[in-house]
Amino acid sequence: MPDKPSDLVQGTLDMIILKTLALEPMHGYGISVRIEQMSKGVFCLNAGSLFLAIQRLERDGLIDGEWKPTESNRRARYYTLTAKGRKRLDSETREWGRQVAAIGRILETS
Amino acid sequence: MSLFRNFAIGLRSLFRKNQVDRELDEELGTYLEMEAAEKMRQGVSRKDALREVRLERGSLEVAKELVRSGGWEFFVETCWQDLHYSVRMLRKSPGFTAVAVLTLALGIGANTTIFSVMNATLLRTLPFPNPDSLVLVWETFGKGPNNINIVSAPNFWDFKRQSQSFEDMAIFDSAGRGYNLSATGNNQEPEQVSGLRVSAGFFSVLGVKPLLGRTFLPEEELPGKDHEVVLSYRLWERGYGGDPQLLGRTIKIDGEDFTVVGVMPREFHWQFWSKARQLWVPVGYNKTDYGRDENSFIAIARLKAGVTVAQARTEMETIAGRLVQHYPTEDAGMGATVTPLPEFEMGSLKTAMTALMGAVGFVLLIACANVANLLLARGAARQKEFAIRRALGAPGFRVVRQLLTESLLLGVLGGAAALPLTAWGNGLLFHFFQLDNLNLPLREIESVAIDGRVFGFTLVVCLLAGVLFGLAPAINTLRGKVNEPLKEGGRGSTEGGRSRLRNALVASEVALALVLLCGAGLMIESMARLLGVDPGLNPKNVLTMQMSVPQEELYNGPPGLPRFCQDLESHVGAVPGIASVGAVAHLPFEGDAGRGFQIEGQPPAEPGHLPGAGYSVACPNYFRTMGIPLLKGREFTHQDTLGSAGVIVINETMAHTFWPKEDPVGRAIRLGDSNGAHLTVVGVVGDVRYRGLDEPVRRQFFRPYTQAGWPVMGIVVRTIGTPSAFTVPIKKALAEVLPDRPVSQVEIMEEIVRNSTGSRRFPMLLLSGFALLALVLAAVGIAGVANYSVAQRTQEIGIRVALGARSNDVLRLVLRGSMNWVLLGILLGIAASIGVTRLLSGLLYGVRPTDPAVLGAVSVLLTGVALLASYIPARRAMRVDPMIALRYE
Repeated sequence: MPDKPSDLVQGTLDMIILKTLALEPMHGYGISVRIEQMSKGVFCLNAGSLFLAIQRLERDGLIDGEWKPTESNRRARYYTLTAKGRKRLDSETREWGRQVAAIGRILETS
Repeated sequence: MSLFRNFAIGLRSLFRKNQVDRELDEELGTYLEMEAAEKMRQGVSRKDALREVRLERGSLEVAKELVRSGGWEFFVETCWQDLHYSVRMLRKSPGFTAVAVLTLALGIGANTTIFSVMNATLLRTLPFPNPDSLVLVWETFGKGPNNINIVSAPNFWDFKRQSQSFEDMAIFDSAGRGYNLSATGNNQEPEQVSGLRVSAGFFSVLGVKPLLGRTFLPEEELPGKDHEVVLSYRLWERGYGGDPQLLGRTIKIDGEDFTVVGVMPREFHWQFWSKARQLWVPVGYNKTDYGRDENSFIAIARLKAGVTVAQARTEMETIAGRLVQHYPTEDAGMGATVTPLPEFEMGSLKTAMTALMGAVGFVLLIACANVANLLLARGAARQKEFAIRRALGAPGFRVVRQLLTESLLLGVLGGAAALPLTAWGNGLLFHFFQLDNLNLPLREIESVAIDGRVFGFTLVVCLLAGVLFGLAPAINTLRGKVNEPLKEGGRGSTEGGRSRLRNALVASEVALALVLLCGAGLMIESMARLLGVDPGLNPKNVLTMQMSVPQEELYNGPPGLPRFCQDLESHVGAVPGIASVGAVAHLPFEGDAGRGFQIEGQPPAEPGHLPGAGYSVACPNYFRTMGIPLLKGREFTHQDTLGSAGVIVINETMAHTFWPKEDPVGRAIRLGDSNGAHLTVVGVVGDVRYRGLDEPVRRQFFRPYTQAGWPVMGIVVRTIGTPSAFTVPIKKALAEVLPDRPVSQVEIMEEIVRNSTGSRRFPMLLLSGFALLALVLAAVGIAGVANYSVAQRTQEIGIRVALGARSNDVLRLVLRGSMNWVLLGILLGIAASIGVTRLLSGLLYGVRPTDPAVLGAVSVLLTGVALLASYIPARRAMRVDPMIALRYE
């Protein structure tokens, strides 16, 4: 178990949420759980930053939200990726890859 | 796309607040529940799970806040909250609000009033199409700043023929004259109206089309074909009932028939160096006009597209050079230049207006300083409120933002209160100062109104003022620890920096007020000096009026009515109560013409460099009637006729200039024009300020009317008793001399002298008014700060008194504290004055901008007022009871 969850930069958080939703639509808690799972516990989101990011993504038109009943018969908002969101995810992923490769090269030359 | 979505969602949050809130609650609630369920699945007991979840709920509230503040509508909502809060806070202290709004209303109102005047005058473009391409073309002589001269017709014809820079060029008579209209439709009496000779292209150069009919054709410029007339709208309406059938009919002007060919539109206004023209006639070139050195016209032209003034100027200079070579006698030493028409129009008004704009800017700054001080005092009292808000988590900038909202609100309230003040001020300015008489050449000031631009200006000013006076006090609240004000018995603030800011504001107010008072003082002194100038005549009980006299060759020929002077004396002089009567071609303060001549007995001068002097024509007894002293020799008599030797009377300046060491009486000159008349000096009279009390005296000489004529004579009558009572009998007597010749411009000489200073009176009175306002505001500011400081130092004063200080010591303590800063302000003000008042020198007369007497007097005045303003709070300090003071918190 890691000691402290690392902090995510705002841009990367958006990208990760988009990626999560690319696999299947889900509600807020589901996103949080999935991210924790996929990062093997490195990233542990608090509700505040998560929902703030979700609001931002929705206002930017990258995700769509819809009220649906959950298993326990409560309502929750399920989010799906829009076409625009998919495009953004693709470009962000490519950009991220380039940055990582570049940093890697810099760090290797010592 | 996302912008629209963002906007739409935000709007929903704004207006469906409750529903959006509930939805967020629900979503987060579900989140919590699922988290609890997850924990329980992981084996945590239900109780523990719920407890952990409840702990989470705290951070959930934070999460809610975070989400809510993420959208743009949050900003709008908080601004709206700030506004609400500000309104409440202002209502809670009505006294403060009233004083602040009143102060701002005065400061802003002064600014918007002056701006309204500027808006109605300077800022309005000329009412012609494309006014920036309109220029005036001048001849020049010699070098130096004032070397422009009006043009002659032959030179104009050459300018026009040879130049490429202009679309079209035209000329108009530089003086114009009164034209006698016989009894017209609506008028039973003949009347005289101001009219102007213009060349055919005049109206088309300006780009103005007539309302009815047409303007002049080129062939109508020649005498014989030139009996057409274009009327102004006002004359057409007033004199002829606006009858459209008037076109094509004839009216009698100066006893001759003229066909009405056109009527100008209502908005067309032309009063270039004159009263508003009512009719225009073709130029009708006469014999004199053909003289190449007979300069009587003003040339106006429109630049071709793409040609600049500088290019046109260069071309004209070249053309002038060529003309000098072709006509070395008439055009000797001549040059040419081009000036843009809009600039030429505004001249002196611009200086006065700029000075006034600066002055009201100062007044506004003083008002803002006062309000800033009020806010500082109020801010100190509200420290507890700010401390609580910050302790509860409000970020510093939020508190500042709310205070700024209050300031802006005060500013807008002040602006709103300023508008009725402005309306009142505009009306006052318009009527009291007779702005409609400002005589701008090319436009009429219908009114000074608050229009869209003025409104916009007011808004900008009050918002800027709000930021100006609000910023410092708002930022000041952030100083100091948060917990200090919350402690029991805490005074509430750290005094040091705050009181220094207040005192610095007082010092700046004093400095600004001093500069304004200096400006006003200088102008008042200028006025006093100006009024003390001896005009050279005795205007008391003198009545004047203008009358046109038949004259064939307008400005040069023999008198058209040789018996004129004699008839004048016998008829008008016979009216009971008349002491004496005379006539002159140019009345004082109304300008004159010039002539060149050769002086006999002195080496002849080069053509083009002839000595010259102002020229006028007078009847015998003129000088005596006007009260101009005869220094040597004699006045004209009825024996000086065409048959006898040509004589002139000269003024003292001319005598000193040309015959400094000898008696000029008996000396002679020879006129430089085609006449070459030989004239002997028979008398020397005292100097008269012909062009204005503040203009230097020019050389002048007079010829008797009986030897040289003039088409318009100013009748001068000295009466026993009030002059205006004699208007009717004098007019009757004149009608006997010249029937069917109307008399115009009946004026009292004393008023003419007084009005000649009119253009200075307006800025002087306004500036003084504003300086007084500044003084009052500064005094109020000083009193306020001194009062506040006494209240703050009550404890300290109590201790001092308890330790043995007497009331005089207390008084001195308070006064010293206040006056130190006032004196600093005065020193700063003196330094600033020395720099700033230099800008006023165009408006001053006989006073240096750095006049020490004015500076000294103003400083003493300001010190006195400041002492008085500080004295009243100081008296309050003296009455402090130590026992109460020591318990004061």
